[in-house]
Amino acid sequence: MQTADAGAASDDQEVLELLRSGDAARAFALLLPRYESKIYRLCHALLRERTQAQDAAQESLVRIWRSLHRYDGRAALSTWIYAITRNRCFSALERRRRLDAAFPDASDAGQEWAQLPAQTSAPDAPELSSQQRDAQLRALVDTLPERLRRVLVLYYFEERSVDEVASMLSCPAGTVKTHLFRARAALAERLRGLGLHDPCAWLGGEA
Amino acid sequence: MTHEPADAALDRALDAALTHALVAPQLPAEFRARLQLALARAAAEEADGSHLTRLRQRLEREQGQQLTELQQSYVRLRRRTLAALVSGAFAVGAAAVLALPWLASHVGPLAPLVMSATGALVGLAVAFGGWSLRPGVALSAFATDRAHRD
Repeated sequence: MQTADAGAASDDQEVLELLRSGDAARAFALLLPRYESKIYRLCHALLRERTQAQDAAQESLVRIWRSLHRYDGRAALSTWIYAITRNRCFSALERRRRLDAAFPDASDAGQEWAQLPAQTSAPDAPELSSQQRDAQLRALVDTLPERLRRVLVLYYFEERSVDEVASMLSCPAGTVKTHLFRARAALAERLRGLGLHDPCAWLGGEA
Repeated sequence: MTHEPADAALDRALDAALTHALVAPQLPAEFRARLQLALARAAAEEADGSHLTRLRQRLEREQGQQLTELQQSYVRLRRRTLAALVSGAFAVGAAAVLALPWLASHVGPLAPLVMSATGALVGLAVAFGGWSLRPGVALSAFATDRAHRD
């Protein structure tokens, strides 16, 4: 973890040096492969929908490209990049909220996971496939309060890195841990509330 | 914490299930190509924008210079007008002082009345002339036209 952090800091320093020498194009070319997937995952976690996440990620990267010459290295590069990305996503969410208010019939279009069949069969049905169970679990995750859902989704997207999630959402690592704990506890409670005989077995674990 | 999971097994199973269900989405294959297009478009817009910015700055600078010149011309005109009025008043006064004895020897006791009437007529004629040629452009156009005709 420390090695990865040191590598990232070294790359950030290289980007900053390129910017100081006036080579913004090379600086952008250096940061793009490192951050594009993370930006997309952050957008996906915040917006819940692939097409909108793709558009928001693209808009964020264009904004980063435009503003890169103004980056002065006072904040970490990742902090600066994630702040731009979050702002783009919040703008997209605001647009969606207005659209939903204007056209209530189309309001479920932005929630890809929520459309999945959450209760198409009995919860303990033996024929439930792995994909169906994943879909039901994702639908269950979508019922969590937004702040818990974001943290939980990003935690698993980012291979369980609390620090990375904290950096992406600009909050302390302790807050991320607390939200993760509450999200899992809420999920466990919802599973019990579904009337499952054995939630552990339904999840694919040992009874 | 009131929401603590009942047992560690459920917690472990939930963690494993979430790891399986919440797989990080992969960037679409065409993402990089679309991004390059968007960046090229942004670069073109920025180039247009900087050209427009330069043009706007030049026009604003020119407009500022014109406004300053106009202001200076206006101040000069007011000074000249004031100087002409004061000089004219002194000249008329001096002429009246000189002309009054001569006029009195020719017209008699009506000399002050004749002088006042003449002064009033000249004043009215000047005022009418000034009013009829009020727009400065018309005056200069008239002068230019005359010069061309001459």
